[in-house]
Amino acid sequence: MPAVRAPAWLVTAASLALTAWLLAAGCGGRMATTSDASGREYFGSVRVPGDRVFRFNNAAEPEQLDPGLMSGQPDGRIARAIFEGLVVADPHTLAPLPGQAYRWDISPDGRRYVFHMRPGIRWTNGRPVTAGDFEWSWKRVLDPATGSRYAGILSVIENADSFNQKRADASQVGVRALDDSTLEVRLVSPAPYFLNLLTFYTCLPVPREVLARFGDRWTRPEHLVTNGPFVLASWKLRESMELVKNQTYWDQANVKVDRMIAYPVDDQTTSTNMYKAGVIDWQPSGNVPAPFLPFMRKYADFRVGRQQALYFYSINVTKKPLDNVWVRRALTHALDRATLCDKVLKGTRPPWGLFCPSGYVGYTPPQPVTYDPEEARRDLAKAGYPGGKGFPRIEILINTSEDHRRIAEAVQAMWRANLGIPVDVANQEWASYLEKTTQVKYDVARRSWIGDYPDPSTFLDIMRGGDGNNRTGWSNPEYNRLCAEARMEADPTRRMKLLSQAEAVLLDESPVIPVYHYVTMELVKPYVRGLYPTVLDYHPLKFVSIDPDWREHPEPAGSDSTLAAERQP
Amino acid sequence: MSGRPTSLWSDAMRRLRRNRMAVICGIFLVALAVLCFGAPWVPGLADPTAPNFDLGASPPSSAHWFGTDPLGRDLLARVLYGGRVSLAVGLVATLVSLLIGVSYGAIAGFRGGKTDEIMMRAVDVLYSLPYIFLVILLLVFFSKSLLMLFVALGLVQWLTMSRIVRGQVLSLKQQTFVEAARALGASDWRIVFLHLVPNTLGPVIVYATLTIPAVMLQEAFLSFLGLGVQPPGASWGTLLDDGRKMMTLFPWLVIFPGLALAATLFAFNFLGDGLRDALDPQSRPTGA
Amino acid sequence: MTGFITRRLLLLIPTLWIIATLTFFLVHAAPGGPFQSERDIPAAAKEALYKKYGLDRPLIVQYGRFLTHAAVLDFGPSYANPAKDVREILFESAKVSFELGGWALLLALLLGVPIGVWAATRQNSAGDFTAMSVALLGVSIPNFVLGPLLVLWLSLTLFWLPPALWTGPSSRVLPVLTLSAIYIAYLARLTRGGMLETLRQDYVRTARAKGLDERRVVFRHAFRLGILPVVSYLGPATARVVMGSVVVEQIFAIPGLGRHLVNGAFNRDYTLVLGVVLFYAGFLLIFNLLVDLAYAWLDPRVELA
Repeated sequence: MPAVRAPAWLVTAASLALTAWLLAAGCGGRMATTSDASGREYFGSVRVPGDRVFRFNNAAEPEQLDPGLMSGQPDGRIARAIFEGLVVADPHTLAPLPGQAYRWDISPDGRRYVFHMRPGIRWTNGRPVTAGDFEWSWKRVLDPATGSRYAGILSVIENADSFNQKRADASQVGVRALDDSTLEVRLVSPAPYFLNLLTFYTCLPVPREVLARFGDRWTRPEHLVTNGPFVLASWKLRESMELVKNQTYWDQANVKVDRMIAYPVDDQTTSTNMYKAGVIDWQPSGNVPAPFLPFMRKYADFRVGRQQALYFYSINVTKKPLDNVWVRRALTHALDRATLCDKVLKGTRPPWGLFCPSGYVGYTPPQPVTYDPEEARRDLAKAGYPGGKGFPRIEILINTSEDHRRIAEAVQAMWRANLGIPVDVANQEWASYLEKTTQVKYDVARRSWIGDYPDPSTFLDIMRGGDGNNRTGWSNPEYNRLCAEARMEADPTRRMKLLSQAEAVLLDESPVIPVYHYVTMELVKPYVRGLYPTVLDYHPLKFVSIDPDWREHPEPAGSDSTLAAERQP
Repeated sequence: MSGRPTSLWSDAMRRLRRNRMAVICGIFLVALAVLCFGAPWVPGLADPTAPNFDLGASPPSSAHWFGTDPLGRDLLARVLYGGRVSLAVGLVATLVSLLIGVSYGAIAGFRGGKTDEIMMRAVDVLYSLPYIFLVILLLVFFSKSLLMLFVALGLVQWLTMSRIVRGQVLSLKQQTFVEAARALGASDWRIVFLHLVPNTLGPVIVYATLTIPAVMLQEAFLSFLGLGVQPPGASWGTLLDDGRKMMTLFPWLVIFPGLALAATLFAFNFLGDGLRDALDPQSRPTGA
Repeated sequence: MTGFITRRLLLLIPTLWIIATLTFFLVHAAPGGPFQSERDIPAAAKEALYKKYGLDRPLIVQYGRFLTHAAVLDFGPSYANPAKDVREILFESAKVSFELGGWALLLALLLGVPIGVWAATRQNSAGDFTAMSVALLGVSIPNFVLGPLLVLWLSLTLFWLPPALWTGPSSRVLPVLTLSAIYIAYLARLTRGGMLETLRQDYVRTARAKGLDERRVVFRHAFRLGILPVVSYLGPATARVVMGSVVVEQIFAIPGLGRHLVNGAFNRDYTLVLGVVLFYAGFLLIFNLLVDLAYAWLDPRVELA
């Protein structure tokens, strides 16, 4: 049947060509961008929404809205908009500002705080917010029966840990309502960051009578009682959450948006498309697909800021040959983080050779680890594997993700090339990955750590022997001692020095290999005001407003941040 | 039924050879398989895992015909090396689907009654079990290997096929030629595999060819879970899955693996059509 | 017939029980558990959470409790969303998935089957090849590529349709198209295959020989049997489509059922996974029963034993 076969060929060839064309046309099509009169280019549409509604992508479905039990950023974002703690964070600097407490006194030794409640503050059910609400809420978080995953945030309070670990009872915990408007807090040590801790969602108050009545279901919109700038109007699972302005909030005159809609979109491409099309006004950090990052820097609505977080490789020191410190040093020295960040990550994140991120006031870090292939080979020889000979196969464990995989492939290539050792990469889904890292059943694993408060101890403490976040099997007496001493040290200068010494020990022993310093990378429409990049990637939404005449108004200082040039080494 | 059984096969081959489209597709597939499995010996082909950090993602050029990925690795090499896993996976899954799926479905349909009921409910159970957990558990109890990958895919790839064949057989077994065969004293086995199964070949071959791309993409999901190819290796599925995330930036990363997959599917499809026509002695194309 | 249906419906119970049992032990055997995170959970918190959800009891006790509750469709709260019951979550997302899947399936049936019949009656013609090549194209462009392409073209370049979310009639278009593409292709290919097979059966030839009108031969005689493979395929396929598609839901941020299974699996949200699996199994069994009934209706000679 040659007569009919010929067109068949044509058709086949044509459809293959069509596939290619479709793909090429779709892919290659440059997406339109907008620019303003001053020639600044914007990634997305800059048409101001007609209503006073602020729409954003919350990036995931919040697990729950109980501030004492929650443990995720999407949960926290909503919780901090509908509840308010004793202090609130400044939207720009995160410095503590008066919230439900209008002033506070600190004792000279820094270990006793007395908070004075703002008069006239009420829950949305009309009941006044009292000091007793805070005492009850915090003790509830610490109560081992509550099962709060973030109870550790309160551990600077006297007997907090003991109560949480069933070694003391609630009455011994150092928090007490002296009367309805005065709260006294006693600390274990003079933690200079205590007020910052109070802006954390775990420290938000909860209405005990509502919890008692509805149990786990008290956070459903129909039952929920709150005390913050917004109230939860609706919560449609995996669809949207709607927040409306709380008319009884003490500072409601300064709340400038009537409504906020939060979408739980976890797909990066989808979220970025929504931003581009103007469906959302704000896309928080971590949602631009990694391959796009290098191309985003030219847009005025792409904002970059330093984040207090580290990407690192973690080594299981209980396993041969990684129990040998020289092997770990060899791996550290053979990792070319500069090339990795510049070439693989295209300069979107700065290389970092320290365990603590930058920007701690008064902290002088030790010498960062460096890339030195010669040194690495010498280290490996000292460990008894000259030229990588006889070195067993090791595996880099990652949880499956484009970024982690590319970094792991690059590190694998570097270790192979610089040390001549056999390296595999194994990817696993999230739960299996977590199981392996928590049980320390891996060789080398990709990990990251995000600080909770602006102090080096939020990083260094996790590497103490036996800490649940250590996950390397590493325990160094010298290091543990330095951390413990720093904790009790009242003098800030001496305290920082002890912490710096601890970090030096950590880097020298190399149970962890720092890779890069996290940066926040968000997309914010130019008409959105009061939203700044912050080191904790935390945005108090109370201060957000929409400026329809944004083109006429100069941008407030600090909203246009660019990545600091600082990098290590 | 014309012709003696011994000449059936050679008859079919003769008919297949006359089908130019099928022959060309067959040659294409063989050439592709040789290229992929022989990739290490293809002269001038780059190392698919060697990164070139300075180059990064680059469009097709004379040095890199298919361009390079963000780590600067040659995409042509990655597609060819990746074809090994993808072709193997496609082939194994198709074979499993044909061998297990067809015979299981044919037996269930032919036996009918309680046997059919139990066999089909077993299929429903397998359909319903959460596949992700099956794979995760395979990974826990066995070390990851190519064999485990095949097991994981084979576990489920025959289910729909068995339902299709059973449906056909339920209907076919009531037809006169089965009664005729039975009257001639043919054994059940003979009736099922020599009379019923050949009459289901049309849908069977169609479904088998459609399985191939589906299974190649499924392999990417298994790689995600940690089974299947592991970095820095690749397969067409994982290449496509990676490429789609940056298809507006580096379209070639989707186009070439996509074309490889599409071309394979087209070839298998036309070969399958030809094979079906060739194997069916009653085949008499109605023409244009 | 009634007897057959009754028996099959009764058979649902032991089948679902087997599925429930296997799934229960499967999910509990997987490494890791709920409430894990990159950050350490205090021992007290873990203990309290396990106690709260009864995860501290022996597995067999948990199994017993699960079975007795599942019998009345009570799976308990989802670990990843303690304020909501699994049943509530399932029903809410089912509404979305059924709508999306329903449209997609309808579109696939209305396009795929006629294309397949049309192509089969013109085997090896240029029209046949064109139709089948387009169908193959539908199979070889994965939905995770097709979806973003449609978004790029229709939402971000032409601004005709919303890029994501499930908010109004216009938001239905792209997900339905993306989801149905592969089913259109499958149905067209399977219909053609099935039709070709029946068109050359003896009884069709007899009908033709009797001088019946070709259209009548195709539709009255061949179609009923030619469609059988499609019907077989539709049983599991329908169950799968109405249970939602992970990829389409992800690309278009649709709150359907499909991603519950995957997310639930990754979070080790046992209650959610078990709920979804049983829900799906129920559908599958019912659709397969409908398929068997359809056989008997399409081909009266098929005996429903």
